[in-house]
Amino acid sequence: MITGNRSKIWRVVSWIIASSVVLPILVMLVSGLTATTELFSHLWETVLPTYLYNTIAIAVIVCSLSAIFGVISAAIITQTNIYGKTILRWFLMLPLAMPAYLVAYLYTDLFDYAGPVQRFLRSFFGWQSPNDYWFFDIRTVLGAGVIISLVLFPYVYMLARAAFEQQDQNLFRASRLLGLSAPKSFLKIGLPLARPAIAIALSLVLMETLADFATVQYFAVNTLTTAIYDTWLGYGDLPAANALASILLFMVFVVVLFEQKARAKQRHQSNRPKRSEQVIELSISQQIIACAFCWLLVAFGFLLPLGLLISMSVEYADMDQFIGLLEPGLNSVELAFYAASLSTLFALIVVLYKRLHHDRTKGLPVNISGFGYAIPGTVLAMAMLATFGPLDTWLNELAVIMNMEEPGLILSGTIFAIVFAFIVRFSAIANGTITSGVEQIPRSLDIAPPSLGMGMIKGMFKVHLPLLKSSIFIAWLLVFVEAMKELPAVLVLRPFNYDTLSTQIYQLISDEQLEQGALGAILIVIFGLLPIIWLNKHEDNT
Amino acid sequence: MTHIINIQQLAVKLQQKIILSDVCLSLESGDILGLVGPSGCGKTTLLNTIAGFIEQSSGEIVIDNNEAITTTTPVPPELRNVGMIFQDYALFPHLTVSENIGFGLSKLSKQNKATRVAELLALLKLTEFEDRYPHQLSGGQQQRVAIARALAPQPKILLLDEPFSNIDARLRNELMIEIRQLLKSLNMSAIFVTHNKDEVFTFADKIAVMTDGKILQFGSPVNVSQKPNSWQVADFLQLGSWLPIQCNAHAGETALGSLGDFCQELSASEAINKTIDLLIKPQYLNYNASGIENVEVNHVGITEQGYHYLVNSIERNDKLSFERVSFYSNHIFHLGQRLSLSIQQHDYLLFDPNLAK
Repeated sequence: MITGNRSKIWRVVSWIIASSVVLPILVMLVSGLTATTELFSHLWETVLPTYLYNTIAIAVIVCSLSAIFGVISAAIITQTNIYGKTILRWFLMLPLAMPAYLVAYLYTDLFDYAGPVQRFLRSFFGWQSPNDYWFFDIRTVLGAGVIISLVLFPYVYMLARAAFEQQDQNLFRASRLLGLSAPKSFLKIGLPLARPAIAIALSLVLMETLADFATVQYFAVNTLTTAIYDTWLGYGDLPAANALASILLFMVFVVVLFEQKARAKQRHQSNRPKRSEQVIELSISQQIIACAFCWLLVAFGFLLPLGLLISMSVEYADMDQFIGLLEPGLNSVELAFYAASLSTLFALIVVLYKRLHHDRTKGLPVNISGFGYAIPGTVLAMAMLATFGPLDTWLNELAVIMNMEEPGLILSGTIFAIVFAFIVRFSAIANGTITSGVEQIPRSLDIAPPSLGMGMIKGMFKVHLPLLKSSIFIAWLLVFVEAMKELPAVLVLRPFNYDTLSTQIYQLISDEQLEQGALGAILIVIFGLLPIIWLNKHEDNT
Repeated sequence: MTHIINIQQLAVKLQQKIILSDVCLSLESGDILGLVGPSGCGKTTLLNTIAGFIEQSSGEIVIDNNEAITTTTPVPPELRNVGMIFQDYALFPHLTVSENIGFGLSKLSKQNKATRVAELLALLKLTEFEDRYPHQLSGGQQQRVAIARALAPQPKILLLDEPFSNIDARLRNELMIEIRQLLKSLNMSAIFVTHNKDEVFTFADKIAVMTDGKILQFGSPVNVSQKPNSWQVADFLQLGSWLPIQCNAHAGETALGSLGDFCQELSASEAINKTIDLLIKPQYLNYNASGIENVEVNHVGITEQGYHYLVNSIERNDKLSFERVSFYSNHIFHLGQRLSLSIQQHDYLLFDPNLAK
């Protein structure tokens, strides 16, 4: 084991990383909870019930629809002989790459009164005005719920599919021999056993839904995230924004507890996965319905929006648009590069600290630094402001006292705060990837270098880090991609006149001018595809 | 004679590979059959084909005089009336012991189902565990639940896949006897798969030795062990050691001396002037204190039956030389010691190792 001064330094660094990741959240919570009761009762009497109602309504709609879409598609892919299974298997993951707010914008364009669908219907049936017919209004709570579900259901699909595929085939054989047909066996054995996995997936979906900002903002559906944004940027009321963020954080916390409980129940996985013998043979009409169900999900969640984006960029893209992309693009890359590199470095420090040390609390820094993964970007942004705002004030006062030039908002007003927020939010991804890499290294390799006369730390550089090369790369890539896509935190924290790809696209969407940024939107989708392609490859290898 | 199961010319092909060919078997009601063979010989495939998890490519299976199951008249597993006990038991982890046992009884009324479950709980001494979940039980208890669950719908025949491989060696024998008595008391027919020959001799009424997807020999354990029909059967069941022997018209030459008057059983064309193998069981080897030394001890072991020795011939480069022949003795010999062994007169079993292949 590592001992002496180096060990102490390592421990101190690990704890500093862990605590600096949670401190801003604590600061925000304290300031939110100590907000005057007067303010709180004012919020409660005015807008809060609507915000809460909308937030919960969207959460319920998204959870129900994602469960229906995800579980049924996973069941079709794993349990039946559906045609085109190999393509559908991974096409069903693609919607995950599509940001919900893009779909929201594109479908509004497509389905509203002036859009091509209604125009076609009117000319076809000879309708004159909106009074002549009924057409669904997409810019509602239900519409937002459906669109968010269309891009989030792959979480449920992926985890349910993995659960179904990892179930012990002998359980199904036993069920068949005890007189149950294949479909019945699935309902009585497969589905109940997959419940914990489905619950975990739904809690991930819930976290993403609670974090969504741009979709609901675009649809003018007021939820807690939009309320936080408006309260701070619209009214400049930091305590109220903190209070709202604390409420949202509390809801997320409940979801996290639920997820942890579901994870604890997940056991019984087999290394004898189900084989094709158990496949349910579909009749032709069933085949058509199953294919239609899966392909419609893929089409509405991915292919149609991508097609619309492509046709937009073919129509509108020119050199000016491309040049306009360059600056925000470079900003995105710069932010994502810092966030990915630092998160990966921090993950290596805390994960290897846990692995190579022997004190009783060695696991805490990893767990604590992964705490931010569930926290919505808007809430994180409030936490950064609540912490670094006062720090900046203090620094400036200090500068005045010391007769120096005032540095300005060097912490809360620069990309420092954005990168910090990214690290808090994405550390869990880096920690998880590095941890699974470290777990693949046999324990005996920890002690082999010392047994050959090489110090532990040198041994780590010579043995562990080379073995972790691919995990380090993947951790870096995953954080990079997530950081490229992140929107709400950047929107709140960005310095004046500073744009990233996602904020630029959001701005264009707000101005109903996405055509001008279609290329950038495609770029974001492509970045979103990277981890999916990696997941798919990773799965084929295992 | 009514057969509980009758298999004729069964063949199975998976991905163009022949896994089983020309398998013929029949079992009388109440009999227990042990399928043995080296791993990969197709015994588990045969079990899964009988259960209906693998499609046969030709041949027929008749269970309890029902309509024959063939490629044109397939029957899904749930309608075959066959019970199975899996190597890892495959208990449903989300159901209690009672719910596991009652799983196959959905056609019974609630009351009848409860009665049947209670009966089985009592029969397998599981009553006090009825509300527990599988992960709360020991390995032996889990196996009893698996047996109760398989017996509940009263199958015509029970299939057991390596049923004792997960059981502690010390308990195994006891458990085998217990389960055998249970099956016998219910007159339940069973087929079980194992790669352990000792299990077959303890547990089975009939034995089928398989290699390369074929049944080499089928019969009672006594019959098969006394009269193995091929080199492969004797070798797999480890019925003795192999001693090279060269036959001429009326005698056989071995490294342990010549044997007279036995070759008439072999047709002249088969064995005359060839070197083949004599199956020599340890009890037919005698130690002579004063004879010419012809073997050298290369391994010494201790067993309840006395000392166990492996010896090789002193002459090493002859076609009659051998590397290891096993015998037991109460005398103490040391490694490298040279001894004189001779072969006692008995019904000699001669096999040509190249013949069956």
